[in-house]
Amino acid sequence: MPVFVEDPAQFSKPRLKSELIAHNVTLPAAESKKHVYMELYSKCIGLKSAADFSSDEEDVQESQDCEEREKDPEMIDPCGLTDDELKATLLQYGVEAGPIVGTTRSLYERKLQRLMELAGGRRHSETENADRYSYSEDELEDDQDSEQGRAETVSLVADKQHVDSDIQVPIKDVLMEMFPETKPTPTGIAATRRRPIKGAAGRPVHFKYPDLPASPMAQQRHAVERHMVPLWVQILVFLILGCLLYVIYASMENRLDNPFVTLLDNLSVVTERETKGMSLQA
Amino acid sequence: MSTTSQKHRDFVAEPMGEKPVTTLSGIGQVLGKKLEEQGFDKAYLVLGQFLLLRKDGELFTEWLKDASGANTRNAASCCQCLREWCDAFL
Repeated sequence: MPVFVEDPAQFSKPRLKSELIAHNVTLPAAESKKHVYMELYSKCIGLKSAADFSSDEEDVQESQDCEEREKDPEMIDPCGLTDDELKATLLQYGVEAGPIVGTTRSLYERKLQRLMELAGGRRHSETENADRYSYSEDELEDDQDSEQGRAETVSLVADKQHVDSDIQVPIKDVLMEMFPETKPTPTGIAATRRRPIKGAAGRPVHFKYPDLPASPMAQQRHAVERHMVPLWVQILVFLILGCLLYVIYASMENRLDNPFVTLLDNLSVVTERETKGMSLQA
Repeated sequence: MSTTSQKHRDFVAEPMGEKPVTTLSGIGQVLGKKLEEQGFDKAYLVLGQFLLLRKDGELFTEWLKDASGANTRNAASCCQCLREWCDAFL
């Protein structure tokens, strides 16, 4: 495996710090110079990284074919990526990364590493299955398998190269072909509703008739009907309006010739006449 | 987390201002000292890191564990504290 070893001299001090922390190395005093960190880094991590890589991954994937792993392009070293690449790669795994700065970079690197291991494990288990189902173990079969693997890796490499421009991944899983609308999850475990298998186990076969060409008249009628309000709503609105108008009219009528008002008017007229009559008599 | 500590409630109750890092829930003297050594002497610096990680609890607790040697409980407590503070004041 080509281990990508960065020159620690290129690192900034906080970067070195975070690297040291990431590797569980106790930091020197807070105000030490950069070269102190560098020495520590080269001492602890430079030695470690080579061993780290081989041992770590063998632990996880002990049963896997080593050659295949070496060719696996998904196991790129996250440390070797630029910030933008790291972000784009994380996005490819469905993780929306925040700004990648000194204090967050190591975290995102590790997250990417984990995601890669998960994805790698899933892919390898699939190829393992394929191996299991192939009944002959001769050279021809193996060649075909590796050919397939290579084709896959080539497509993935091509993917990586224009990862910045688009994040569309070609359909490379049988599962993804079957359920194209399900999102690929980093763990590869997705809960989907099981679909009934049409025509199997006595279930009726439904044939779909998508978009039967309707006559132009029918289409017009549909268009008109879509704009029309149902008939009963129209009648209801009409009745409500009628009632409202009647109520208004009735209230106006009442005010104009209120029996009490007329009575009062009559009374006042009568009293006036009486008083007039009385005054005249007097 | 059903119950919260007094420290948590005190922190979430008001803007953090210039509070030291040890006022954060889950960050005691020892962890606070380690954080201070790395330059995180104020609570708002830790908040900054929390925000840089998009308030992602998982990544933040991981960072806190690395940076200060906190255990999972302390880190989760701190994370919860900051999240609630953000909900209230951000």
